[in-house]
Parts: sequence; C-alpha cells; structure tokens
Amino acid sequence: MKIMVCIKQVPHADARLDVNGAGTWIQEENIKFEINPYDQNALEAALQLKDKDASSEVVVVSIGPERVTQSLRTALGMGADRAVHVKDAAADGSDSLGTAKILAAVAKAESPDLVFAGFMSDDGNLAATGPMLATLLGIPHTTTAVSFVKNGAVTVERELEGGALEVVELNTPCLVTTQTGMNQVRYASLKGIMAAKKKPIDVKTVADLGLAGQVGAGAAKFKIEKLYTPPKGQGAEILSGSVDEVVGKLVGKIKELGLL
Amino acid sequence: MGSILVIAEIQKGKVREASYELVSFARKIGGATNREVKSLVMGQGISAGAEELSKKGGGEVFAADDAALANYNLDAAFAAVQAAIAASSADVILLSNTPTGWDLAPRIAASLDAGLASDCFNVEVEGSDLVFFRRFFNGKFDSRLRPTALPLVATMQPGATAAFEGAADGKVTALSVSVGATGTKFVETKVAAAKGVDLTKADIIVSGGRSVGSPEKFQEVIKPLADALGGAMGASRPVVDAGWLPHEYQVGSSGQVVSPKLYVACGISGAIQHLVGMKASNFIIAINKDADAPIFEVANVGVVGDLFEVVPKLTEAIKTAKG
Repeated sequence: MKIMVCIKQVPHADARLDVNGAGTWIQEENIKFEINPYDQNALEAALQLKDKDASSEVVVVSIGPERVTQSLRTALGMGADRAVHVKDAAADGSDSLGTAKILAAVAKAESPDLVFAGFMSDDGNLAATGPMLATLLGIPHTTTAVSFVKNGAVTVERELEGGALEVVELNTPCLVTTQTGMNQVRYASLKGIMAAKKKPIDVKTVADLGLAGQVGAGAAKFKIEKLYTPPKGQGAEILSGSVDEVVGKLVGKIKELGLL
Repeated sequence: MGSILVIAEIQKGKVREASYELVSFARKIGGATNREVKSLVMGQGISAGAEELSKKGGGEVFAADDAALANYNLDAAFAAVQAAIAASSADVILLSNTPTGWDLAPRIAASLDAGLASDCFNVEVEGSDLVFFRRFFNGKFDSRLRPTALPLVATMQPGATAAFEGAADGKVTALSVSVGATGTKFVETKVAAAKGVDLTKADIIVSGGRSVGSPEKFQEVIKPLADALGGAMGASRPVVDAGWLPHEYQVGSSGQVVSPKLYVACGISGAIQHLVGMKASNFIIAINKDADAPIFEVANVGVVGDLFEVVPKLTEAIKTAKG
C-alpha cells in the first residue's frame, strides 16, 4: 500500500509574528518553523499503518522554499520512506486551489492508495487544500478525522460540533483530513534521524509538474489585500502595576461580582 | 450577473440559524451587486423547512428531497449542489463554516475551478467587488480578501451576523438529484459520551492553555485557583489534544460551550474555536504574556504577565479574602 501525506511547514506555535512590510503576509525572516500540527497527526496516522504492514510505503510531499527540507527530514526521521519537495518560487503565493493543483500533479505520478492531509494549516486556517486535492483526483474524502481504521474499506470517525462524531465509510483510494488529538505523534528517534539522511528527497519545479502559469500568486483566485492586527474593540481593561498590585485589583473585581 | 446561492442546512427538521445568517449576508451583497438570492435545502422530508426559508428571505428555494440525502453524504450533497448551481446560474455560493461546510465547500470550489474563502466573519461590497474578511493565524490577524475571478465559494462563520428576519417573497422549486454510486457512506452519528465533568453548570471556571506546560502544572497551578474560588477547572483544545486532561475539560466549539459568572483564562491565547466556547461568560479575566493575544479582545479584565507569577499569588489572595 502506498500512502501519501501532505505536510506544510508553518511558523512555530511560539514564534512571534509580525505583519510584513507590504502588509499582505507575515515577515518570515528569523522565525522558527515546524510541521503544521494537524499534518503531524496525518503523518502519524500513515506511520501507524506502516507499523502494521511494513511493506507499505509512506511518501511525504511538501511545497515551499529551502527551509522546508528541515521538515521533510524530520518526517523521514519519524519513519516516512521518501519525500517529494516542490521547491520553486513560481509556487509562492498559491492559494488553496493552486496548492491542491500542485499536490494533485504529484499524486497523479505517485498513484497512492491513501492520502492524508491535516484538516487545516495553523497559518491560513482555510481547511481547503485536502478536500480540493481529493476533488481534483476524483476520489472520495472526509474531513476532521479523529480515528481511522482500514479493514478493506476505510472507516473514519469525524468530529462534528459539540463533541458529537459522525462515522463515515470511504472506498479507496480516498483522502482523509486529520484533526489534532487524533493520535499521539511520535518523535524521530536518533536511529531514525540517522537513517533519514540516506532517504531520498525528490525536488521538483512547477514546470516539472506541467503547471507553469497555472499556480502561484498570479493564478490565485483570492488575493490577500491586507493582513492586519484586528482593530481593538472594547477590549479588556488591562491592569497595571506589580504582581501584588495586579492581584489585589483582581480580588477587588471578583468581590464586585459577589463571588467572594 | 449571476445569482447568490445559499446552501442551507437542516438540523432536526428545521433550517439552521446559521443558514438564516447566510441569508443576511446574501441579501446585503445581493442588493448592492444586483444579484438575486436563491437557496438550496437538501434532506428527506424537508418541505416545511424549504417553505419557511422561502418566506424568510431565501428567495427561490430549491428543495432536494431524497432518501439519499437523509443523512449527510458527500457525494449526494455534492450532486444536489451541482444541480442547484445549474438551476440558479449562481456565481457566488455561500455555505456556513460548519462540519458540512468543511466537507462540501472545498469540493464545490475545486469542481468549479473557483477560489474558496473560508470562515469569513464579514463580506462587504466595494464598487462592484465583493471583499471578504477572515482571520488568519488562529485569530492573530484579520485580512481583507479580494476575489480575482468568479464564480467564488465562501463559508461564513456562524454567529458572525444576525439571522435574517424580514419577510420576502420566495418560492419553493423541487430539485431532482440523481445520486449514483457513492464513494462515501454514512454509518451513524455518535453523541458525545456522558460527561464526568459538566462545565456548563459551573458558576466559575478557571481554564489553562498549552503554556501551562504539563499535566502536573495543571494540578499545581490551575486547579488550586479553581478550588479556592469554588469553581471548576477547564482547558483549551491543545491541552486536551496533548492528553494532559480528558476531553470533558475542553472549552470550545468542539468541547463544551460555557457561560459562567466568572471565567479565568490562564495562558490561553484565544483561538477562535476557544472563544466561541466561552465568550458568553458574564465576566472574563485573562492572564497572558502576549499583550496582543486575541483573548484580551473578549476579556473584561486582562493581566499581561506570566501566569506562573500571577496565578499562585491570586490563589493565596483569594484564600485570604475568604478567610
């Protein structure tokens, strides 16, 4: 069985984010990046299938500049077999559909039996790329998986609102987007990291995939015209002073509420 | 000019509140850009819902009433949407940012080679253009998104506007949908297991976020404050995802939606899904190191500081105050 996992490198959850000079994205210099948390669950789901069937092959795919190599090495260190890195400035500024087109071109060459992707990315929060990729491939999909079982067909529990779950069966090949908390993500072992150095990362350009002119900022269906800090509404009354002073004021507020 | 198609959702036989919110957005941009508002309702035994929607702003309501649509099924729902797009000549398609929207909206967009703006909290008309507003980076930044092409698909955040109330003349048109072999199959819906901790009944909740750091720190720092106040302990999603606390402690759209008299958020930045779960609280205190954290937007009182310095001292001060 061949399993493709789509991963995106996003700013680390602890990175300090500022809007860039153009006011259209964040400034990406000198911040730490990591594999999108939702995609870490996607990768873990694939690796668990490989744990059960060692003949399975897990291929990780990512789009982005040189820094993405680090995330792909991490994924290989965790146990993926090989990586495809679409590294091309022509892919920069792709919207969800452009991203899905690139991934679809890779998937068509790979013909995976299963595709995993994170439910959303921690930067864009659009939750669009995975199902768009499934659509372009003409395969079924489901979203927000919190469990995954493959026993011939695939059975997924997907998260609804208010803690409810929907159980869905899918024919294969299919694409499943994974919710955080679906599984406990493994760390790359030292042995895994050493082994990863010998695993191949296949670097491709947009033209290699036959998509010249069809993806990237120029082809985006939506443009981010402006990214900005949300306007401060009423907002909180920020208490100032030493810790003791602030604590005293908090106690006063709680007393006013009649809760002490 | 094309029309605006509202993809309504039926829940327990009724059109969801979120769908009437879509009607509000559709009416606003429809009036300003000369687009008619039309709607799709799908399910089984939905004629009452379709009728109501047609009388409450949905315009021409296409009713896809079919056993294949009795429960949500991606292929069947997608077939209904395709039929409705063909029947309505829509070039703007609106869904709610709900589990159905997550599953269906990207499939509609990709099939039309169209863009998708998801989880928008507003849409405005500027000249003849639509401009969509949505958050990025878990609420840290807002954005203006301008479409470069039509058709387009957008999902709107439930609760972002008031439900449409005004009466308008509409009609119901039956829509026949041919659902062939499906690649997905609905099995069942499971209701969340009975909760050992019912946060919805607590008067005071003290919640911690990922920056609390460990399950032990929750017991050492967060729980004592909750205990001192006579309240319950809660948590944000990353805490539950990490396995530090069971799911029943989770406050947010995928956990418990609470409205206590006092909510104390410790080290919680305020991702949208958490805010949805607690912003109706009567009084909110936020303690966070990051002065720009979105939690301060919904809080009544904020402390910009280290929770490990503030919370233990607050716990002691509460104990002293209570004697």
